[in-house]
Amino acid sequence: MSEPKSVRSSTDQLDRLAASRDLWPGGTLEAWRGGSAPVPDRVLWPASAEEVQAVLGAATRDGIAVVPYGAGSGVCGGARGRAGSWVLDTKELNHLGRVDPESWSVEVGAGVIGQQLEDWLEGQGYTLGHSPSSISCSTVGGWAAARSAGQLSSRYGVFEDMVLALEAVAPGVGRFTVGQGGSAPDGWMDQLLGSEGTLAIVTRATLRVWPAPGARWLRGYRFASVSAALEAMRGLMQGELHPSVVRLYDPVDTRIGGRTRPRSGDRGREGAWRWLLATLERIHRLPGVYERALVLPLALPGLLNRIFDRLASGCLLIVGWEGDPQSVEVLSSVGHRLLCERGDDLGAGPGQRWYASRHAVSYKLMPIFEQGGFADTMEVAARWSDLEGVYHAVRGAIGQTAVVMAHMSHVYPEGGCIYFSFAGRGDPEVYRRTWSRALDAVLAAGGTLSHHHGVGSLKAAAAAREVGPAVAGWRALKAQLDPAGILNPGRLFVDVPGGDPGPPAPLRPEDHLARAPIGAGLEARRALGEPLWPHERLPGLPRWQRSPWQTSWIEVAGEVDGRRCLLGRGPRSAVGPDLRPWLAQHGGAVATWAVAAEGPRWLGEARPVQPWAVAWQLLRSDLRPAVLIVIDGALRVGFRGPAAERLGALASQRVPGGLSEIPWAPASIPSGPLEPCGIEDPGIVHVTAQGVFRRIG
Amino acid sequence: MTAWDTCSLCPRLCRSACPVATGSGREAAVPTWIAWTIRGWGAGQLSQELAAEAASLCTDCGACQEHCHLGRPLPELLRGARTRLLPPPALEPLEPIEGEGSLVVIEADARPLAAWLQRALGRSVRRWSTPDRLGIAAVEHPVFTHRAARLREAVADLEVVVADGGIATVLQRADIAFSWLHEVLPELVADRTIASCRTGGRRLGLACCGAAGPLARHHPEDAERVGALFLERCGGGVLLDARCREHLRRCGASVHDVVDRLGGEES
Repeated sequence: MSEPKSVRSSTDQLDRLAASRDLWPGGTLEAWRGGSAPVPDRVLWPASAEEVQAVLGAATRDGIAVVPYGAGSGVCGGARGRAGSWVLDTKELNHLGRVDPESWSVEVGAGVIGQQLEDWLEGQGYTLGHSPSSISCSTVGGWAAARSAGQLSSRYGVFEDMVLALEAVAPGVGRFTVGQGGSAPDGWMDQLLGSEGTLAIVTRATLRVWPAPGARWLRGYRFASVSAALEAMRGLMQGELHPSVVRLYDPVDTRIGGRTRPRSGDRGREGAWRWLLATLERIHRLPGVYERALVLPLALPGLLNRIFDRLASGCLLIVGWEGDPQSVEVLSSVGHRLLCERGDDLGAGPGQRWYASRHAVSYKLMPIFEQGGFADTMEVAARWSDLEGVYHAVRGAIGQTAVVMAHMSHVYPEGGCIYFSFAGRGDPEVYRRTWSRALDAVLAAGGTLSHHHGVGSLKAAAAAREVGPAVAGWRALKAQLDPAGILNPGRLFVDVPGGDPGPPAPLRPEDHLARAPIGAGLEARRALGEPLWPHERLPGLPRWQRSPWQTSWIEVAGEVDGRRCLLGRGPRSAVGPDLRPWLAQHGGAVATWAVAAEGPRWLGEARPVQPWAVAWQLLRSDLRPAVLIVIDGALRVGFRGPAAERLGALASQRVPGGLSEIPWAPASIPSGPLEPCGIEDPGIVHVTAQGVFRRIG
Repeated sequence: MTAWDTCSLCPRLCRSACPVATGSGREAAVPTWIAWTIRGWGAGQLSQELAAEAASLCTDCGACQEHCHLGRPLPELLRGARTRLLPPPALEPLEPIEGEGSLVVIEADARPLAAWLQRALGRSVRRWSTPDRLGIAAVEHPVFTHRAARLREAVADLEVVVADGGIATVLQRADIAFSWLHEVLPELVADRTIASCRTGGRRLGLACCGAAGPLARHHPEDAERVGALFLERCGGGVLLDARCREHLRRCGASVHDVVDRLGGEES
């Protein structure tokens, strides 16, 4: 066997054992019951892209599988050991570059631990804005591999929104860069992100950063029902209020977490129930009882779910804004008014408590394993119109085998993510059955199987069912990048009989979506409603050339090899790579995109000396206008939604000479091809907070 | 359930605070995995050799406990485990304290710290030389109990000054109060960036301590990796902990500490 001599490596049993497990709860359950995971033959720590290439070259020659490993925080078994394999540990790829204050970007190694990156940025007055609960035990490369999302995703975007460029190494093509004019086509970025180490090893990333927020506003609200709360959340997102946090706890999670008090006189809460609840709560607080009390839900999950349903009353919504103090003041005051129309204000306390303990939740799962049970989480996504249906479907499907609760977070104008937490008896068959039923229920109810945990081996079969024949897009790129198939085999997609997703589901008014043939021009799309982001052509610019919030299509449907195929079942699906661009070019027929909600509009115009420079500064001053364009030397800045007028006034203060209000008029976002240019370039057609762009040619 | 269960099951959330896990990149050095290995040994599933190797991947810096949301005393548990898994280290005889005055400064290397301090303060300073850092290698072993009593007796009425993190650790374990050199002479660091992992000053995201603890004795290559990463991230500056000086020099750095500054950078 020809291991690369120049690369640090170990065949010590201690290192091989340690690299055999990630944080998949199924593996933890197995290990806790005395089982062991498959152990790799060798662990390697390449310190550069060249060393990664040496490892992949040697592995290809000998036909050895390579499992990439960051910090092992994956919960779907994507980095789990594989007998006879080499584990490529990325943690020596730990370069931390300095922030470029002009482009608001930083270049970092794939093996940098998230919390260390955030500490590093904080020291320079910046933030990445990526705050997954795994931040202390996950790496930049892992975030890219699984398409991670953090708790502040409503403001900063999900991880792929933060990536400007990647450096990666693939056995078939060697080292390459993608994004920011890299050596590979921009389209590879869509597939590399979420490929879970099956296409290439990411070695370096250039990421967007933002100034550390000058203000942070957090508050809690109580809603009588999930429906009422979802309605309010939808109003915030479709009202373009850009909150940083929108996090709803279902009644069970709210009750167990003790996060809000029920209103007096709630219907259905009879005296006996009230007494039982108070007694349980008192017992719960006794030393040592918490751990032992877990035996009950593990043995009788169905009964406990019913009891919790009866005891539950109301749910807690945490909402936050952060950033520029003036923007936060405007957006939070308008948002607060909207939320108070449907819910009860609980003050700042719940929000501040959540923020202080936002990364601690994972510790709560440990006593369940110690008690002989299992605990797991499942994050799925759906449109607003399907969200509650998916929630009830999953609870109904697994309610007899696990105690289940949920929170909804990571929300978008068209829908959101549901994060289920469930615990049951620590029997591998119960565990397998619970997962199988849960995944079936999500697909049947119209949701997507993964929002940000990835696929791994746990969801591989179900993911292949959801993606269907579009898996061919991933296979095509894999044949080019990893022709010998050595990279993380058996993960992401496995061969399963494909189902028929049926035709695209009818559009519902509350989702604010429109649908048309893939190639429909902007005017044709406008005829169906004002596009939220009016790209000249779909899908618009590559991610690194557009602002993170300027989404393009939501869903792409068509046929591959004569079979129907539908991608984008949720507002953001992370069931592996984003294959929508590939499908659009290989049998895609129709696309679905977001349209703007009815409501107030405000548009202002000015003629500053350097209008694009002013536009750039507006984005960097924390405004997110719906319209930001220069037409014949005139800068136009527009806002939609209930805060439109106040945001317009704020923008006007930041434009030399102010903005004059004019009638609302449609604008457009160019679709390229574009390239970066200087701020004084006469051909500028587009701007992001990171820079300005002109057309090529 | 054993004392190791909770740490074994934890999703490794202290890993970013652990200098060894970060500096070495070894998954085996993550505190959670160390706990898992020792638990496996206790359950008869893993060998004592493996558990000893894991338990010694530690600088005893305490960062894991400091960052643990559950306040688990993992450093203390590991100290206990190492006394069972590793042979007791030898203790060198204590040297006599030389000189006059109420102030004693402890020298850990060849630099005449006492003479330099006496010159700077203009008063008598006693000198206590200790090439093995008062027995730091044995500090977590039960044999240290007797050494601690002798140390307390030796400095009973004296004001103690140190510039070395290893010696500071020994004094803390022996329950002896002391001052750091830069606390006695703040001007030594007043005009400089301070880079130090344990002794105060600018707080870094990552500790080092690759100079000391079981790691340096049992895994010298990993200790150097820890130091190299510390150097890359600390951004330079004067070190408060003289013990780091030699360690970081072994990592290829050109470094100076407070003792160098006291001596006018003579060394």
